[in-house]
Amino acid sequence: MSQYVLEVNHLNKCYGKNKENQFHVLKDVAFHIEAGEFVGIMGPSGAGKTTLLNVISTLDQPTSGTIEIAGTNITTMKQNQLADFRSQQLGFIFQDFNLLENLTVYENIALPLSLQGVATKQIKPSVLKVANNLGIQDILTKYPAEISGGQKQRVAAARALIHEPAMILADEPTGSLDSKNAKSLMETLVHMNENLGTSIMLVTHDPLSASYCKRILFIQDGQLYKEIYRNHTRNEFHQNILDVLAEFNTLSELN
Amino acid sequence: MLLKLSLTSMRKMFKDYLVLLFGLTISIAIFYMFQTLAQNEAFVKANSMISATMFVFHVGTFILGFITIFYIFYATSFIQTLRQKEMAMYMTLGAKKSKITQLMFMETLFIGLISLVIGIIIGIGLTTVIADLLMEKLDFSAEATGFKAIYTGSILTTIIFYVALFLLTSMVNAWQIGKKKVLDLLQANKKQDFIKTSGVKTFFGVLFSIILIVIGYYIMIDMAKFKHFGVILASITIVPGTYLIFISFLPFFVKKLKQNRTLNETGINSFTLGQLRFRMLNLTKVLGTVAMLIALGLGAMTAGISFYHNVEIQASKLQANDAAIYQPTTEDLNTMEKMKLTEKHTYVYKVSDDGVFFLKESLLKQPPLIPNMEKGIEKLADVKIKRIEDKLPAPVYSMDGTKGEGLPDKWLTAMSLELNASYNMFGERMIHVVDKSHYQQVKAEEKQVILVKADDFSNYLPEFKQLEERQRKVAESYVGKPVENAGGKYNNYVSLKSFSSGTIFMGIFLGIAFLMMMASVLMFKLLSNAGADIQRYQMLRKIGVRKSLLNRSIYRELFLLFLFPAIVGLVHVLVGMQMFSFILIEPYTKIWLPISLFLLIYGSYYIITVQLYKRIVLPKH
Repeated sequence: MSQYVLEVNHLNKCYGKNKENQFHVLKDVAFHIEAGEFVGIMGPSGAGKTTLLNVISTLDQPTSGTIEIAGTNITTMKQNQLADFRSQQLGFIFQDFNLLENLTVYENIALPLSLQGVATKQIKPSVLKVANNLGIQDILTKYPAEISGGQKQRVAAARALIHEPAMILADEPTGSLDSKNAKSLMETLVHMNENLGTSIMLVTHDPLSASYCKRILFIQDGQLYKEIYRNHTRNEFHQNILDVLAEFNTLSELN
Repeated sequence: MLLKLSLTSMRKMFKDYLVLLFGLTISIAIFYMFQTLAQNEAFVKANSMISATMFVFHVGTFILGFITIFYIFYATSFIQTLRQKEMAMYMTLGAKKSKITQLMFMETLFIGLISLVIGIIIGIGLTTVIADLLMEKLDFSAEATGFKAIYTGSILTTIIFYVALFLLTSMVNAWQIGKKKVLDLLQANKKQDFIKTSGVKTFFGVLFSIILIVIGYYIMIDMAKFKHFGVILASITIVPGTYLIFISFLPFFVKKLKQNRTLNETGINSFTLGQLRFRMLNLTKVLGTVAMLIALGLGAMTAGISFYHNVEIQASKLQANDAAIYQPTTEDLNTMEKMKLTEKHTYVYKVSDDGVFFLKESLLKQPPLIPNMEKGIEKLADVKIKRIEDKLPAPVYSMDGTKGEGLPDKWLTAMSLELNASYNMFGERMIHVVDKSHYQQVKAEEKQVILVKADDFSNYLPEFKQLEERQRKVAESYVGKPVENAGGKYNNYVSLKSFSSGTIFMGIFLGIAFLMMMASVLMFKLLSNAGADIQRYQMLRKIGVRKSLLNRSIYRELFLLFLFPAIVGLVHVLVGMQMFSFILIEPYTKIWLPISLFLLIYGSYYIITVQLYKRIVLPKH
C-alpha cells in the first residue's frame, strides 16, 4: 500500500479508432495525491480536465497507463467492479447538483449507504452526523425543489461524504452558484478537508474557488504544465493562480 | 428542404416512430375488424337472434373510436416529447414557427397514412384468422353467414375516420408546439415534477374511495334487487371510486411503504419508491382510466365466454330430460345404445282426430323429472331438478281443461317441456292424460315415447342431433307439413348457443381491443415521461449503482405501475360478474381463459415498455 490516495502514471487517452482521426486528449500524464490533500486541477477549455476526471472517476477507460486509487489499480476492472468501486471509494459533487428530486434530502444523503446494504439502524446516525457537519440538519425532510442552490450543493457534498470515501471528486461544484453560496461551499470543502481529513480533487476554472486548494495542477493540451503550492495566504495564492492563467493566455496568443 | 429535414429526422428516430406505428396499426386493425362486424349485415343477421345486435356493434365501434382518439393523442404527444429539443434547435437557428408546425403536421400525417395502409392490411388478415377461428369454435361456417373479411364499406369508414383523426391530431400537435416558447422547448427535460399532498385531503379521499367502492360492489352483488336502477347506481359509485383510489389511496399506500425505514433504506428501494410515488401522482387519471377500461374489456370478454359455457347448464336447468323420442325406430334405439343413460322411461299414447291421449298409469308408474320453477326463485342457479310426486286423481285431464280437469302445474311442465307434447310436435291437437278405461276407448294404434337423460348432454351432441332429425319427421307426420323446429332440449340448446356465440364473438373482440389500447396508452404515457428520468439514472450510474440494479429498479417500478390498475380492474370484473348471476348459473366458468388472455396481452405490453424505457434512460454500453 502506498500512502497516496491517488497515483496516476503514464496516463494516455485517445479518442477515435482510426489512426488519422485519432485525437490525443491526455498525453503521458503522471501525478499523485496524498491522503488528506486538497488538490485543484485547472486549465483552459479543451485542455483535458473533464477527460482526466472521467478517467479517474472510472466513468471512462484510459487508453494506456495506470491509475491507482487507495492502492487499487482501477484500469483493469470490469464494469460491475467499477460500479462497486465508485460506490465505495469515491464521492462525487457535480456542477448541476444531481440530486434526485423525487427523494427527500435525507433519502438523497442516505442513498449511497442503502446501496451498500448498510443496516437501517446505522444509516440514521451517519446521516445526522454528516448533516450536522455541513449545517443542513434542518432541511432533511424537504425535497430538493424546496431548497436553495447553495443548500442543494451542500446536500450533494453530504451525499459524497456519507460513505467515507477514499477521495471526493468535485467537478465545477461552484459553477451554478452565486458568489456568496460559492464561498460558503468552498469553506465547507475546506472544513471537510481540514477537520474530517477528506482527500479532495477539485476541477474548476474559477481561480477564486481554486484558491481554497493547497496545491494546483495546471494542464494544457493534455499535458501537465505546471504545479503550484499554497504557501502563504489565500489572497497571495489567488494572485499566483491568476499569474499562471495569464501565462496560458499569452502562450496561446503567441502560438 | 423541409421535407428532407423531416425525412432524415424520421429515419434517425425510426425506432421511436416504430412504436407509434405499431400502436396505430393495432388501433386501425381492430377498428377495421369492428367495422367489418358492424357493417356486415349478413353476418349480424345470420348469427344473432335479435336485430338489436347491429346496434350493439355500432356502439362498440363508437366506444372504440373514442378510445382511439384518446390513444392517438397520447401516442403523438409521446413522439412530440422526443422531438422537442430538435424543434427548439431549429427555432434557435431561425426557423419560423410556421415552418416547424408545418414539419410536425407533415410528419404526423405521414406516419398516419403509412399506418393506415399497414393497419387495414393487418386488419383484413386478423379478421380472417380470428373470424375463422371463432366460427370454427362456435360451429358456423363463413359461407353460411356471408361473412367476408374484405369489406369495401368498412375499408371506407376506417379510412375516413382515421384521416379525419390524423388531420385533427396533427393540427392540435402543431398548434401545441407553436404555442410553446423556444426556451421551454430547450429545457423541456429539466422541468421538475414536484407535488405536495395535504394529510386531511388524503384521509378523506381514502375514506371516500373505499366507501364508494363498497357501495358499488354491494349493488353489483345484489343486482337482482336493484334492477336497472342498480346499473346506473353502480356506475356512478364505482367510476369515481376507482379514480379516487388512484388519486388518494395508492399514493397514500406508497407513502406508507416509504415510511417503512427498513424497506425504504434497503438497496435502491428508496429511489424506486420515490420514482413510483411521483409517477403515480402524475398518472392518477391515466391509471384510473386504464383500470376502468381493463374492467370493461375483461368484463366483456369474461361475460361472453361465460355466456357461451353456461348455455349447456342453462339448457339443463330449463329441461330436466335430454330428449323425448316419439315412435322410436331401430335406428333411434341403436343411437340410444351408444349413450350412457341415467333416465329412460317409456310411456304410451294414442293419437286420434280428437287429440293426443297419454295413458295416466304409464306416467304415474315412472314419474318424470322436472325443473322446480316455484315462485320466489330469482336466480336460475336456485332451480332444482325434482321428480314429480303429485298424483293425478281425476280420470281425464287436458292441457287447457276443456275436457275433464286441467293438468296441475307440475304435470303441465312435464308434458309440455319434458315430453315435448306441444304444438311443435302435434300441431293443433289437444293433449290429454287419461286413465286406463278412457284410454282403451280411444280408437287408434298405441305408440311409444321414450324419455331419456344422458349422463352428460354435451358429450352426445351428434347423437342428439340425429335423434332430433328423426323426430322432425315424426312431427311432420302429425302436423301434416314440414316442421322447422320440433322443440325439445337439443333445439333450445342450439338456439341459446347461437345467441351466446354472438355475445362471445363481440365480447372477445371488444375485450382485446380495449386491453391492447389501454395497455399502450399506459405505455406511451410512461415513456413520454422517461425523458425527465435520463439524468437521474445517469447520476445513479455515476455514484456507482450497478447496471443490473438499475435494471431491477426499472422492472420493479414499472411492474407496480402496471400492477395497480390490473388488480383494481380484475377485482372489478370478479365482483362485477355477480351482476349476471340471475341469468348465468355459473358466472365464473372458465374465467381463467379471459384472465390468462388479459395477462398475456398486458404482460407483453409491460415487457415492451420496460425495454423501451431502458433504451431511453440507460446508457448504451
